[in-house]
Amino acid sequence: MNNFERNLRAIYARAYVRIAGTNRELSWIFFTVFLPLLGISAYIYVYKATADPEILNSLLTRVIIGGATLAFWMNVLWGMGNTFYWEKEQGNLDLFFMAPISRTSILLGMALGGMFSTTIRAIATIFLGAFIFKISFTLQSPLLLIVTFVLTMIALYGLGMLFASLFLMYGRGSWHVTNLLQEPIFLLSGFYFPIKFLGFHIAFIASIIPLSLGLDSMNQLIGGNFAQEWALMPLKIELLALGVLSVLFFYLAIKSLDYMENLAKKEGRLTLKYL
Amino acid sequence: MSIIKTFKSSAWLGWEMESNWANPFLFALYSIARPIAGIFLVVLMYWFIDAPEDLFALMFVGSVFYMYIFNVLFGVSWVIQEDREHYKVLKYIFMAPSNIYFYLLGRAFSKTIITTFAVLITLLFGALFLDVKIIFEKPLFFLLSFILGIIGIAAFGIIMAGISLLLVRHNFYIGESLAGVFYLFCGVIFPLSVLPSWGQSFSKLLPMTYWLEATRRSLLGFGDSSLNGITDLHIFRNLLMFGIGFLILSLISFKYCTDLAKKRGILDMTTWH
Amino acid sequence: MCGVYYYFFKLLIEFNAMPSIAIEIKNLIRYFETGKETVKALDGINLQIKTGELFGLLGSNGSGKTTLIKILCTLLYPTSGEAFVSGINVVKEPEKIRGKINMVAGEETSGYGILTVRENIWLFSQLYGIESRLAKKRIDELLELLGLTKRAHTRIHKISTGERQKMNLCRGLVTDPDVLFLDEPTVGVDVNSGRTIRDYLLKWMKNNRKTILLTTHNMVEAEEICDRVAIIDEGKILALDTPSNLKQMLKNETILELETDIIKNLSFKYKFSKVDNHEKKISNLRFFLKDESTISDIISELSKKGVKIKSLHKSESKLEDIFIQLVGKNINE
Repeated sequence: MNNFERNLRAIYARAYVRIAGTNRELSWIFFTVFLPLLGISAYIYVYKATADPEILNSLLTRVIIGGATLAFWMNVLWGMGNTFYWEKEQGNLDLFFMAPISRTSILLGMALGGMFSTTIRAIATIFLGAFIFKISFTLQSPLLLIVTFVLTMIALYGLGMLFASLFLMYGRGSWHVTNLLQEPIFLLSGFYFPIKFLGFHIAFIASIIPLSLGLDSMNQLIGGNFAQEWALMPLKIELLALGVLSVLFFYLAIKSLDYMENLAKKEGRLTLKYL
Repeated sequence: MSIIKTFKSSAWLGWEMESNWANPFLFALYSIARPIAGIFLVVLMYWFIDAPEDLFALMFVGSVFYMYIFNVLFGVSWVIQEDREHYKVLKYIFMAPSNIYFYLLGRAFSKTIITTFAVLITLLFGALFLDVKIIFEKPLFFLLSFILGIIGIAAFGIIMAGISLLLVRHNFYIGESLAGVFYLFCGVIFPLSVLPSWGQSFSKLLPMTYWLEATRRSLLGFGDSSLNGITDLHIFRNLLMFGIGFLILSLISFKYCTDLAKKRGILDMTTWH
Repeated sequence: MCGVYYYFFKLLIEFNAMPSIAIEIKNLIRYFETGKETVKALDGINLQIKTGELFGLLGSNGSGKTTLIKILCTLLYPTSGEAFVSGINVVKEPEKIRGKINMVAGEETSGYGILTVRENIWLFSQLYGIESRLAKKRIDELLELLGLTKRAHTRIHKISTGERQKMNLCRGLVTDPDVLFLDEPTVGVDVNSGRTIRDYLLKWMKNNRKTILLTTHNMVEAEEICDRVAIIDEGKILALDTPSNLKQMLKNETILELETDIIKNLSFKYKFSKVDNHEKKISNLRFFLKDESTISDIISELSKKGVKIKSLHKSESKLEDIFIQLVGKNINE
């Protein structure tokens, strides 16, 4: 069997664990689909309390799209980013790293497995949110929206793999640093407000986070005129940048995974628990 | 083993687990940066729409004190998952002569202390840089309602911890998810008058609504306008009732969940996937 | 007919293509920096293990056994020195080795509690690219051999420690590795199951020309099944030979075995080992004597210390005796 087939099997096997686990106890439907909607609703009510009615729909659209995308970001960060940490603590990391597969296939399997519940959460957020709060979407181009979403996800998952490499070397420290970065990334990604509000220069630097560009682009395609007024950059440029980020993060992730693995093996930290 | 000893040991453990991953300087930086970064999301939303000052102040205090709700609720329920799945010591804690209820209370206490640092830092930041006028005019009222509120939150966290004993470990955790209920219905970041009428009625059943209102009245001198008809005494009485009520409920529900977990043989199951 | 000949020659070629040396270690050193001190886990190990050999590594806790296995499994780099598995350098070309090896550790907690026994083994088989149908066939065979068929569909958080260890062994064997590393594999397993496991491993090894590197505290096990044994202590190999040759090291020594009342602490000028049997309330003492005339001295010293001797006889050397002679302590200390 060649390497490619073997890695495909590994992706499938690791995804299977996630999917089987998710489906063997369905409490997640309540806790991770419905309840997070409450948090998002809180942000909707912030705008309902204070925003100009003329721009309200656009702002609420932004919150709903942000909330849906948040599900994927949390999957990337906690479902994939810290995979190696939890696998190490559970005693599986040795076995994964001894097997003749690439590290990215373990991470991809984890990510794809998590996609199932994540996608349900995202769809529930959009439809329920739109239904409950009577939000209307001004969809310009469904195809372009799909392309934007896919590119954002690719770049995002690449970034997640980069985070994952840190966990090979730094256990709990990485966990805390990821926790620490979570809030600033929410801030700089424009989940609930346009990042252009931060000032062009800060927003431009923030656009290194795939979510910033992705959310900005998606809002341009679905949020109406107000969203377009507050767009950071023209859509085409943002899409191009997302394409570049996709490639860049995957490349960096592969390099970082190799580097961190070698470093961890050198320092004897690869299989050390409770770091 | 005495209750106090259990409480002290688990509080110490909670502190160690939160802090011993980094050198003191890095931990201090993390402790300051994280809460401020957390608050800024809503701050920027309010600045973006140019909200009035009083609304901003209400939101600010609400968000800051919500940290207790989130950290203690999530922290206590997470203890079960962590000790069961990660460190695999839960069965030993159950086997020990110490009372696991007080073990969880100890962990809640350490979470409260750590969160208090974050709250103080953020309040100071808000007062110095965000023009939030903290007047702190009812210290006794604040202290009593604060204590009752924390008791209620910790008790709720223990209820969630009990339920966690019966659930597998999925990505998003029960405590965190339920904290979202309070985030929406307790007027943390927006005035309650914006909620539909059924939402407003529901919010008046939640103790955290009164807790946040008491905090705002003490620190800002005013609270949510939809609660203007409720006196301080009424708030205090509600907090007392709910605090005691949740405490009793937590004892009953935790015992029930523990017995059920033992009956099903799932006290030490590992379900990471 | 042509197909049969083709298959036969293919097997012959593959068989002969296996290098004669499965594991080669050259002056392997590994340090660990713990901030306050430097620990030398391996201190210049030199070793060659032939293909088809069941090689035992005996050492007490912290002697370097697991560190050595981790290096050979490509999970750890040595500080200096080289190691080869099937002729491939473990540091320079680890990806070429991985398909040929597997490892099973004692009291391993790997796997996913929410999956069944069968699913867990299947999962790991997929990481080695084993086609699902073949994997399922192998899993069925292994589960039956190790008495786990009835538990095949049980989630692993519900199985016992011994059953979990058997499952781990299935996981290690399902990939049919050329070299299998077993790090105290029978810990937590009952006596009968331990015997079944050992018998199966011997058969599997001999029939397929596989190599096993086994670390164990169980001297009887090592003596019974290992072709050769190395005794390791503080990262150094103190002795390496067949069990019978190693026992010959004590051929010029007399081993005096005494049964006494239970002794809690005993310090003595002669080297000895002590095993307490609390059920029978006796201590078994074994003394290693170059000169039989010292027997009377030993008895006299014991009497002075108030030790009551219940029985006394001379016995043959065991592997455990060699270990104590070389290392100066019992393997379980």
